[in-house]
Amino acid sequence: MQVRQRAVTWSLGLTTVLAVAVTLSAGIGPVRIPPATVVKILLNAVSLPAGIEVAPLSVAGTLQLPVPTLRWGSIVAYPVDQTAETIVMRVRLPRILLAATVGFALAAAGTVMQGFFRNPMADPSIIGVSSGAAVGAVAAIVAPAAIPFGLGLRGAAFLGAVVTAFVVYLIATEGGQTPVATLLLAGVAIQAFLGAVIAALQLYSGEGLRAVVHWLMGHLGNAGWNDVTVTLLIVPVLFGILLAYARDLNVLLLGEEAAAGLGVEVERTKRLLLAVSAVLTAAAVAVSGVIGFVGLIVPHMLRLVVGPDHRVLLPAAALGGASFLVITDTIARAGATEIPVGIVTAALGAPFFLYLLRSREVHAL
Amino acid sequence: MSDAPLVVDDVSVTLDGRAVLSGISLTAERGELVGLIGPNGAGKTTLLRAVRGSITPTTGAVTVTGQSVSSLSAREIGRRVATVPQETELSFGLSVEQAVAMGRHAHIGRFSTPDETDREAITDALARTDLASLADRPVTDLSGGERQRVLLARALAQATPVLLLDEPTAGLDINHAIKTLETVRSVVDDGTAAVAAIHDLNLAARYCDRLILLADGEVVAAGNPETVLTSETLDDAFDATAVVSHDEVTDTPRVTALPDESTAIADEED
Repeated sequence: MQVRQRAVTWSLGLTTVLAVAVTLSAGIGPVRIPPATVVKILLNAVSLPAGIEVAPLSVAGTLQLPVPTLRWGSIVAYPVDQTAETIVMRVRLPRILLAATVGFALAAAGTVMQGFFRNPMADPSIIGVSSGAAVGAVAAIVAPAAIPFGLGLRGAAFLGAVVTAFVVYLIATEGGQTPVATLLLAGVAIQAFLGAVIAALQLYSGEGLRAVVHWLMGHLGNAGWNDVTVTLLIVPVLFGILLAYARDLNVLLLGEEAAAGLGVEVERTKRLLLAVSAVLTAAAVAVSGVIGFVGLIVPHMLRLVVGPDHRVLLPAAALGGASFLVITDTIARAGATEIPVGIVTAALGAPFFLYLLRSREVHAL
Repeated sequence: MSDAPLVVDDVSVTLDGRAVLSGISLTAERGELVGLIGPNGAGKTTLLRAVRGSITPTTGAVTVTGQSVSSLSAREIGRRVATVPQETELSFGLSVEQAVAMGRHAHIGRFSTPDETDREAITDALARTDLASLADRPVTDLSGGERQRVLLARALAQATPVLLLDEPTAGLDINHAIKTLETVRSVVDDGTAAVAAIHDLNLAARYCDRLILLADGEVVAAGNPETVLTSETLDDAFDATAVVSHDEVTDTPRVTALPDESTAIADEED
């Protein structure tokens, strides 16, 4: 399979790049750790099922049921400096893995949105997902009491994002049809409206202003293993669904009428792609704030390299996005004072995007 | 009940409160090329859209290989009806082969990759449309005539019993127009049922087995080219004066449109 081979080759190549980026990044910081040591620490942390133990579990006090449980064991145990191990495993690795997952999700959603809208300016937040998340997050900071169900900041951001995407979809849908142009304009209008809401909330945020601004600029600094675990559970599943629709996305590029003629269930496919991308973006934004340009620039970069076929482009862009955010976040925290990663991605991404624009290689999807 | 691959039975379509088609019936048998002719706005494209299920008829039914189109999924329709559109977006950097391969979409499962049948269909479609030598070229590099052939090849790769063509020769020079229709003719002769909306009445007369003349959403005349293409029907449908003679070379009717009498007189008075 030519296409499958290309997809696998590019994915393996870019996974290698990501592995190198993660390893180098884990060594960079106030305490420098050599890559070799990082590799040993990472290998030490890998545990595999080493066997099955059957432990009796008492149910209701009398009945004894044997319950098999997996016994995990490390495969290797290299002697390494305990401090270095703590720094890598407790401080740096969760943040790096979160950067990789968020970059992966944003680039995948961006690729899908650009193909979906047949518009090179589309990005994951185009239907208002980021603005919705921002309203949720800012509200959680400014008036925590107003957030229902004790969701907390991440939950509020996620809820805001998903609700906004759904509202934009409802506004743009009439009679079971969702014209892409209407969706785009509804997204722009809702983003503008939510921008006003965010500005107003900021005005009355008082003590919380610093936290609000910090969140809005995008950051990965508060990452803990909890965030990593949750996103690592959500993102691959959603990405898998998108990947299963990669060929439909290719056909959709021909226009909806043509796609329908070629056997694509157009409205259903659009709904699914939109919903999955929105949740994917929401999951990323909820843990990291609004990190711009990853979902816009990375798909373009990879499209130039691997071509427009989504079966190859989607995994390549996602893995590329993971590496991109790991690298930019390393730059963001490498200096004397840490800067929000959103500033780095925009500062690096915007000039690069202008370069692409001038080189006229992105005149079409 | 006819066992023709395509049966359109008393189809009416109302769009935005306006009756676009009223009471259209037609069939296309295996190996038959039916030409849809008529003035702009007569409803030819709407009829083709109704046939492939893009719009639902207000009344009446379209049956393809024995099954009502309205009961079929897009995927099932995609395996039964292929369309050569008038124009489509082929702008981004696909190669000719990739563009033609999209015709196989409805045949390939979500988690599968193209198999031998799919590759054969693609190779065959490229060969039939004389595109084999251009297979690796980006679609954006092609001329208008070559792009039109890519659209035809894509539809042929779909390998459907019913083929619809919406102005397949629009914008083509006479050489490409003839080449395209020769290809369509040979595909039809192999057993496909085809309906083609064609503006050029002479080409329609030459390549179609039957013609259906539409005007204002109704069938004005139907039958073989000789019976449909008469001065009276054309005058009626197109509101234009036409002389129908016999073309000795192709042995088909030849339509020559004349300027309106009123304008002709006005010209003389000048």
